[in-house]
Amino acid sequence: MIAELLFAVFFGLLLLGIHRKVIARIQRRPGPPVWQEILHMLKFSFKTTWVPATASTALFCGVVLVAIGIWTAALVVVLSGGSLLVIFAIYMLHKIVEHGFGLSSGSPYGKFGGVRSVISAASEIPLFVSVAAIAIFTQSLMITDIIAYQEINGPLLITVPLAALAMYVVLLSKMPFGPFSIVESKELVSGYKTEHFGVWRAGLEVCNGLKTYVLLLTFILVFIGNLPFWLVILAMVIILITLSFVCALSPMLSPYDSVTVQTLIAGLMVAYVALLGVMS
Amino acid sequence: MNEIGGAPLFFLEFGDIVIYFTPFTLTLFILALVFTVFVLVSRPERQIDIAFGGDAYYAKEISLSELRFRRFMSIACGLACMGAMVTGDVFDFTLFVSLVGICNVGIVAAVKSRHVQNAAYQYGLVALAGTVPMFSAAAMIAATTGTLSMLELAKGMILIPVAAKALLVLGVMGEGMAPFYAAKAEMFRAPGAPYVIMCSLSSLLIFLRVAEVILLL
Repeated sequence: MIAELLFAVFFGLLLLGIHRKVIARIQRRPGPPVWQEILHMLKFSFKTTWVPATASTALFCGVVLVAIGIWTAALVVVLSGGSLLVIFAIYMLHKIVEHGFGLSSGSPYGKFGGVRSVISAASEIPLFVSVAAIAIFTQSLMITDIIAYQEINGPLLITVPLAALAMYVVLLSKMPFGPFSIVESKELVSGYKTEHFGVWRAGLEVCNGLKTYVLLLTFILVFIGNLPFWLVILAMVIILITLSFVCALSPMLSPYDSVTVQTLIAGLMVAYVALLGVMS
Repeated sequence: MNEIGGAPLFFLEFGDIVIYFTPFTLTLFILALVFTVFVLVSRPERQIDIAFGGDAYYAKEISLSELRFRRFMSIACGLACMGAMVTGDVFDFTLFVSLVGICNVGIVAAVKSRHVQNAAYQYGLVALAGTVPMFSAAAMIAATTGTLSMLELAKGMILIPVAAKALLVLGVMGEGMAPFYAAKAEMFRAPGAPYVIMCSLSSLLIFLRVAEVILLL
């Protein structure tokens, strides 16, 4: 499991590096090297670490461990074929982590980042819609059962394309430099992570790597099914590049517009699942 | 669909009231526990704010009495949350959720600011109103099925009215509205990170749990 965890962290960070590179090339910039996020993580690991004098110390430090802990748990759940509901819960709890990062420092930039994270709660609803749609078809939320269902009936990507689209929107809302990345927009310096430096930021980078890997892997397992390892990696890169295109070609929305668009998408998805429920 | 949160890990019986842990409820329980410990050991942050009309800034402080009361309310909220996460009884769930709502009102209302207390008053009204559909749902389930045990109800022997499920969700939404008030401008100007986070966490946890309960019933 340690080997899988390390691979997930480094490959997740590599995916984030590819994301930055693709965005840069679309925007006709050279962009950083693809391993830049890995270098960031290593660099921050050895930089001077401090806790701001105004911070709530225990929360400031503890929330980093919680962030790594919840995504490690998510990885274990995905690899062991556990319940999709646990992944849903962890995804939602990541919002509390962002909130905790932002509020614990005392910095107004962090605080605004944390508050923006709370007000964009509508971004979680499409994930719940995906979960509900899957439950209607597979009658189970265990990832092993969902994979088994797809081996008999074909990928859920074809059966419930709108549920896959909902999950794709969820992935998009968590990608950096995307239209919904209001929690870390430039007018807030780095948003909720502004004051976390040194080893705390390295921990946050580890969390980001794990989160990217887990969400993409979940998408593949739940909507495409069990693939050979090299195909999973290839599928991850392809999905990521499509996300990078969306991020590169769409401006970051204002907080108000971001919440409005997410709420509209959530409303449409809820109506879709209600329709599926009535039809079944 | 009986194992939507994963296979049950163990049961703890108190007479006919059963507490059960699945990977899902255990994850939520541990998170509530961890953040309750943070509330116990943390001092609030000193929020930086600017002095209008100049380039000066200052750090806000929380008085000891306010800190004690908000900490007490946050710990009570954490304990209620832990109960709501693992209970296997619909009525106990509604009780714990209403306690979460009361504690959230307390966390917000303790701030000595007219604007924040106004937000707390509004939230209090919503939370109070939320208890009516929530307890109505529990009453309807008891009246139609003769039991409030989630494990019994999950067997699917008796159909539970959709209206009861809808009322339960509506009630939890009322109780879990705290973050929307906590995110208001008046509130996030008030320092006290671990306590405000407890509002958000508890609301999120009860939303997650009610999703499991509805899928289970």
